[in-house]
Amino acid sequence: MRATAALILIGALGLGVPAAAHHTFIAQYDPNRPVVMTGTVTRVEWTNPHARFYIDVADDNGDVTNWNLELASPNVLRRYGWTGRSLQPGDRVTVDGTLARDGSNMANALSITLPDGRKIFARESAPVLE
Amino acid sequence: MNIHQTVYTLLAALAVLAYGTSFSQPTGVAEAGSDRGGGNLSDPLIVPEVPDAPAPRLPDGTPDLSGLWLGGGPNRDISQGLLPGEEIELLPEAAALMASRRPQDDPEAHCLPTGVPRVAPYPWRIVQDPPYGKATHLFFLFEGNIHSYRQIFMDGRGHPEYVDPTWYGHSIGHWEGATLVVDTVGFNDRFWFDFHGHPHTEQLRTIERYTRTNLGTLENVITIIDPGAYAKPFTVKYTATLRLGWDLMEYICNENNQDVSHIVGPGYRDIETAAPPSQ
Repeated sequence: MRATAALILIGALGLGVPAAAHHTFIAQYDPNRPVVMTGTVTRVEWTNPHARFYIDVADDNGDVTNWNLELASPNVLRRYGWTGRSLQPGDRVTVDGTLARDGSNMANALSITLPDGRKIFARESAPVLE
Repeated sequence: MNIHQTVYTLLAALAVLAYGTSFSQPTGVAEAGSDRGGGNLSDPLIVPEVPDAPAPRLPDGTPDLSGLWLGGGPNRDISQGLLPGEEIELLPEAAALMASRRPQDDPEAHCLPTGVPRVAPYPWRIVQDPPYGKATHLFFLFEGNIHSYRQIFMDGRGHPEYVDPTWYGHSIGHWEGATLVVDTVGFNDRFWFDFHGHPHTEQLRTIERYTRTNLGTLENVITIIDPGAYAKPFTVKYTATLRLGWDLMEYICNENNQDVSHIVGPGYRDIETAAPPSQ
């Protein structure tokens, strides 16, 4: 993975990980590799089993990488109050997430911060199923 | 334009004004009325509190299990629900099968059904038919892991002599006091009991005992009987909680399932059963 100016790897543990998924979260994402990245939304997929959105992230040289970011499922997000239009192409966002283990440009998004400071899809207090 | 048209036009104009106003308001965490939505879990509209009330009963006195429930079965590791004194003793072949299972092979990750007694992290609803009086059928309607249902025959029939193996098997139910007892056979061997990959064979028989202990609580005590995979039966207990004000929602799992090819790491079983690092 190429380092980018807007991509900061945080070496510390401690970010919460969602438990409510249809697959083993830790087998796909590495809780030891939390990430913060800023970019512009290019596409939103309000689909199952996970809603997804894609952002363009530019590095110091202006080279742009498109990232695939996973959210919870639309039914879970809707129950938290979000809609399929909460995030829209063109939005400038900062994403707190967890990187995929396989080195692809994929991460799980734990929360998204809009330029005005609003956090959307934040799931830190998501219910944990036994 | 007649008077009705004038009124409608004025109402429409007011509606547009109100809609536009909601967008021009200062942004907050929860923008009620905006198509962007918003909210958090402290919002009682999202997770309503369940009143402290006794379990309801139908007019004829039959316990009423209806409602939208979350949980009530294993998800991560079925051994988490073992009752005191119970243990899981895998036969060697089943132990080898479990050890060979990788997270990317979990049928649930492939948008296949959970089987029994596993639950998905999504709500499910109990519906009886007919709605009042003695039920002939109970239906468990699942939002996920796939949109599906279980059908429990309450009309006194037994199991057929032969049942083609299926994901949910053949279920017959009866009441023992306030407890619904569901006896199921005829399972296929394809689903896993949990993320850990606890296996079973087509010899599996499950006895589920559902008791609604109060308005918001549904206990499920499950005995797993499978002489093809386990040296002896074992019993686990899980508890479902009522979600008032929620409805089932659409969940079409396999419309955009990109996960499987990216599930490359160790699963919960590898991590939770790994030896601690030496000092």
